[in-house]
Amino acid sequence: MKLRLVYPHEKVSVPVLSEVVHKTGLLVNILEAKVTAKTGEVVVDVPARGKQLQDAISLFEAAGVNVEKIPTAVSIDYNRCTSCGACVSPCPVGAIRLHVDWTVELDEEKCIRCLICVDACPVRAIRSL
Amino acid sequence: MAEQAGSESLRTYEEINAKIKRGDAVVLTADEFVAHAAQSGLEAAAKEVDVVTTGTFGAMCSSGAFLNFGHSEPPIKMSTCWLNDVPAYKGLAAVDAYIGATAMSESRGLEYGGGHVIEDLVSGKEIALRAGAYGTDCYPRKSIQTILRLEDLNQAILVNPRNAYEHYNAATNSTDRILYTYMGTLLPNFGNVTYSGAGQLSPLYKDKGFETIGIGTRIFLGGTVGYVVGEGTQHSPQTQFGTIMVRGDLKKMNPRYLRGATFHKYGTSLYVGLGIPIPIVNLRVAQSAALADDQIHTNIIDYGVPSRNRPTVKKTSYAELKSGEVYFNDRKTRASPLSSFKYAGEIAETLKRWILEAAFTLSRPAELLPTHREFKPLEVSRTEPRVRDVMTSKVTTASVGHTVNAAADILVSKGIDHLPLTNHENKLVGIVTSWDIANAVAQGKAAISEVMTTNVITALENDTLDIVALKMTQKNISGLPVVDRENRVIGIVTARDLAKRREVFSR
Repeated sequence: MKLRLVYPHEKVSVPVLSEVVHKTGLLVNILEAKVTAKTGEVVVDVPARGKQLQDAISLFEAAGVNVEKIPTAVSIDYNRCTSCGACVSPCPVGAIRLHVDWTVELDEEKCIRCLICVDACPVRAIRSL
Repeated sequence: MAEQAGSESLRTYEEINAKIKRGDAVVLTADEFVAHAAQSGLEAAAKEVDVVTTGTFGAMCSSGAFLNFGHSEPPIKMSTCWLNDVPAYKGLAAVDAYIGATAMSESRGLEYGGGHVIEDLVSGKEIALRAGAYGTDCYPRKSIQTILRLEDLNQAILVNPRNAYEHYNAATNSTDRILYTYMGTLLPNFGNVTYSGAGQLSPLYKDKGFETIGIGTRIFLGGTVGYVVGEGTQHSPQTQFGTIMVRGDLKKMNPRYLRGATFHKYGTSLYVGLGIPIPIVNLRVAQSAALADDQIHTNIIDYGVPSRNRPTVKKTSYAELKSGEVYFNDRKTRASPLSSFKYAGEIAETLKRWILEAAFTLSRPAELLPTHREFKPLEVSRTEPRVRDVMTSKVTTASVGHTVNAAADILVSKGIDHLPLTNHENKLVGIVTSWDIANAVAQGKAAISEVMTTNVITALENDTLDIVALKMTQKNISGLPVVDRENRVIGIVTARDLAKRREVFSR
């Protein structure tokens, strides 16, 4: 599950993420990170679901970090998509594949939100959410 | 004795059309025919099957439509014309225009072009027409602005000068940055491969001897019936780069098979759906129609080289490309198409259904297409300045063993900003600039090897100045050492040299 973590000003210098990793043992992957003088925002992929995921979220919240769940990064509008395949090999993590019937398929679990597919789509059928 | 090209030794067009009308013609898609011939043998398959249907759905930049707007009151002889802000060609009669797929919107740029105008017309959407004129005695009006739809036009005829390339190159990228090309997004360091063409479904590859495709061949175009006008531009059948020019009635087309497209940072185009029925008139045609993906080859070309003569990285087949991975440089690289196999298959199936339902019969071409055409490049007759014409040959270099202080002395005494560094064989190993020296002083570093750039961007004597200027902009640098094939420094070219040259030329 991908989470957007918003750090308030006073928590920017606290290693909250490391503490959560340390306590849960989850191999959290950082996808985006923006830190300004006022606030910090990090998008992470937490490889967990159910109670394990909820525990991790609770730890972040207990440390004063606001957590927002990001269900999907991009969506394909199949009314426009022609399954041409132009988005497939540019995807650096293989999250977009061609099914055996040559339909383009997105694996949301693998997506790292790089959005290269949005520009690669010739008919603008992929939108970032 | 060799049979004549297009000989109808297995069956004639009349026999095929009679079977179509009776409802007992045997029609297979190219995918089905490939499998059938592999199983039953070529001769048996050729005897049994009357027609093989093909299909392709890809970006075809040489596409566009002739439009006739009708006459306004008072009338106008339009000399300039825009449709949704996309310029249309007006070197024709008063209210005739040609909207080309790659023309781009003057307000929205690459996001909207002629291809999108065509898709919007076919979708029944309203289009803003704006035109200007100089005014004549018979056409007094000087400007017009109105809204129109496809149904308002007298004629809207899709006429595409070059469609359905028999096969096409595959693309990869050797450079260290992402390239945005007409072959799509190419990741750095050979990060992926893109390819185009429908492989064993490709219309022209299924009759590679051009024995049945010619002027007047009835085809599937944009969801309706269209025709082959003749050979397409850059038709080069001897290298399996044959092309066709086609026409069809836009008013009858389906927007599913005509899609405006944008290739990021490249431009606009039009995806065109096209299918050709191949009548199995003789065994050679059957043999061509039975060619499978592993027998249809193409080259993976390095689009990182900005030249007409881009190097081939690997020869491959459509079977390997369609597997999704290609093996070269000792590793597997992901490959994906730019043209839709899903739609190509759908088109071949649709054409098959039309024939089985007797809604579509085959036409014998009035004339076959040429099987050989010279493919000539465009030579630049005016001498263009090259690096050797503007570079400084008496280049000052220094040994990589120098101190920062010694390098600073050289830069100051020679009045230069760039100092290429060489080894004992005079081969380039690095470069320092006056900025690097300032940095070194600020950080208290003494050895030149600590502050030099080792991954030096260089130029060759024969490079054009456009290429050098492009490198300077991309890498944000102001000078390039000029090296020979052995990486020995033979000169230097700076932004100042380019600026001086430009002044001379503009005078």
